[in-house]
Order: sequence, then structure tokens, then C-alpha cells
Amino acid sequence: MKITKMLFVSEFEKLWFDALQSLMGLRKAGLNHVVFLHVIDRDKVAMRRGTGYLKQEERKLREIADIRFIDWAETLFEEGMEVGAHIAIGNTVPKILSVAEYEGVDLIVTARRRRGKLEELYAGSETSDLLRRAVRPVLIYNYLSQSGKVGENPFERILLALDWSLSSERVLDYALALEGAAKRVEIIHVLSEKEIAGLSKMEAHKLERESKKRLDDVSDMLAREGIDVRPHLYIGNIEQQIEKGASEHRATMIVLGTKRRSIWKEKWSGSVSHALANKAELPVLVIPAEIK
Amino acid sequence: MSKKVLNVEDDVDITTFVSTVVEENGYIPIVAKDGEEGMRKVREERPDLIILDILMPRESGIKMYHELKMDPSLKDIPVVMLSAVSKRTFLRSQTALTEFGDETVPEPQAYLEKPVEPGDLAEIVKKILG
Repeated sequence: MKITKMLFVSEFEKLWFDALQSLMGLRKAGLNHVVFLHVIDRDKVAMRRGTGYLKQEERKLREIADIRFIDWAETLFEEGMEVGAHIAIGNTVPKILSVAEYEGVDLIVTARRRRGKLEELYAGSETSDLLRRAVRPVLIYNYLSQSGKVGENPFERILLALDWSLSSERVLDYALALEGAAKRVEIIHVLSEKEIAGLSKMEAHKLERESKKRLDDVSDMLAREGIDVRPHLYIGNIEQQIEKGASEHRATMIVLGTKRRSIWKEKWSGSVSHALANKAELPVLVIPAEIK
Repeated sequence: MSKKVLNVEDDVDITTFVSTVVEENGYIPIVAKDGEEGMRKVREERPDLIILDILMPRESGIKMYHELKMDPSLKDIPVVMLSAVSKRTFLRSQTALTEFGDETVPEPQAYLEKPVEPGDLAEIVKKILG
């Protein structure tokens, strides 16, 4: 697994150039190509009674995006990076997925995406929609400081949340692919309340010991690759404990895997990765079990 | 036989504009929409001149220019850069690429910053192709 090509989706109001620059630490992991994407919402240029399709508005919006991208691209080109750009009209999630496929990127970076309250009630957020359909790692980027401006590299201190599933294996592969980009790795496994409910004290201790052993084995494996790593075992609500672990160990990003499931299954049984991507204060990198 | 001009450009409006100028001046226009397709067309069609944009999907004009100039069989095909990216950035990017051990590449025959007047483009093309 390599991280050489990244799709950076910007609506300009949410993700600025400094966000992109904060990700340039990934060059140590082999990043050499950035593709910009700006999606003009169809509603902004759609047919109106009396005026028809807003062609002039489309031209204006394309021009604005083009000027921004050229400015950003000039900086990256001068640093020896390869840069591409797409400006599209339509629905954001399908456009992100089609451009990611067309360009064959290794990572999609986007801001958190929401819909109207009513629409979210039956269709979920756009972020969940993207995570459900993506076959590539997606970084839901949040600014680390509330003022918006960052100089921090989200990959500096990453927290890997592992549940020993297939997607956890992909998370570990990804951590290895980061090479020198991550300075410190915290790995966390959360024993859920459901898992320990009804267990005797002895059985609970046994489960705890087994989990610690697995964490130690993973830590040793990462350490052998030269990664500075610390294992942590938490107990409780999985989402809450992952956030707590990230906060206690001053992580700059949460990395976790996700399984492909239908919108209804996700709605009723819940998804930790989607919940964190929608709510966590930190950037969240979600890695699908089957990466294309 | 008329000379062939390859235009590598992702913007449909500009592709139409360049093709019209090229055709009106008696040359055969060929088009490609990104650097990858551009390199393929160069090898297939052996154009007499390449008009090259920079910021494109899949492969940029900066990478394509570098590949052209590093290939002994293609390096003599004249290239006119036509882009909104500044010439200064283009030259710096070529320098940045040579930092990885490649040889220095020569400057393009001409560098036109968008938007360009049809007369100016025609004049440059005629000057290079005769």
C-alpha cells in the first residue's frame, strides 16, 4: 500500500490551502501528486422559472474555482509536486467517487458534509454516504484549532483504533505505509460494555489479558518497522472511549476501519467510524476493509 | 502535406478555440485532454508542434513537458505552453524536477499566458512551423 496520490475536495469555505499544506508531511510517505476537486452544487446553477439554466452563474463559479486552484497549484508545482484539477457540477458524493476512480487516488480528503435535518433523518449525512460508498481511504478533515487556521500536521500523532477485524488489518497496513509521516502512533482497543456484560471476573480478566497481548503483538510489529508506538486498552462505550483516548494521548488524528453495509443496517446497528467521522473534534481517517 | 499540431488541453472551449486557429492557418489540429493522452498521441501521430496546457487531470503539462524533453526521440518537437499558470512557476517546477537527478531541460519555444488573442497564437504557430 502506498500513498502517492491524494484527492483534495474543497468548497473553499470549508477547506483552505493551509489545510492542504498541513498534509504535506505525507510527502515522506511518498505523496507526489495532488488532485483538486471543486463541486459546484447543481442547485446553484439549476433552471429557474423565467431565467432558465444559469449559464452565466456557472461560468462565474467555474472561473472563481479555476483562479483559486491555479494559485494553489503554482505553490505545489514549484515544490516539485504533480498537480491536477477538476471542477464539476452536480451532487458532491457521486462526483467525489467518480473523480477518485478516474484519477486512481490513494486518499480522499474532504471536510465534514451535512445535509438538511429532515434529509439527514432518512438519508444520513453526506459524510456517511461518502464513507459507505468509498473504496478508498477517506480523511474527514477538521481544523485542529477552533480559530480555523492550522499549522499542525494531522499525521503527527495518530491514534489507530483497532477491533481485530479485516478493516483493522487495513488500518495497520496504512500505518505502515505512512512511514516517516507519523511521528508517534497510539494504538487503542476498546472492550465494549456489551462484550464484558455477563462475564465472570475471571472471564473478564482473561479477555483483558488476551486483548493486551494482541495490542502488544501489534505494537512490537510496528516498532520493528521503526514506528514509535504505545498500546492502550480501554473499556466502555467504543465511540466515547476512542475520543477519550485521542484526547488523553493528545492525538492529532483518529484512524479506524469501516465495513461496507447498507444504509438501513448502519442506521439500526450504528457504525463507530461513521459516528466519529460525523462528530469527532479531530480529523478522522476512515479505511475501508476492501481497498481498491 | 499539412503539418500537424497537437493541442493538449482539458477545457473544451479552449480546445475549440485553438483547433480553429490551427485549422484556419492551414495546419491539422489533433487534440488530447490530459498529459497521459497527450503522450500517447505524440507517439502515435508524431506532431510537428505541441500546444500544451499545464493544469489538467491525470497528468499535468509540467510532467508531460519534462517527459517529452527527456525522451531523445521526442525532445526536438517544438512546444508552445499555453496556460494560466505563470511562466515563472513553470520554470521553477522544471528546476524542482531536475533536483531528483534528471538533466536540466530547455525552455519551451514560446510561453503564452491565457487568455491569448487568436492573432498572437497564429503568429507564434506560423513562426515555428513556417
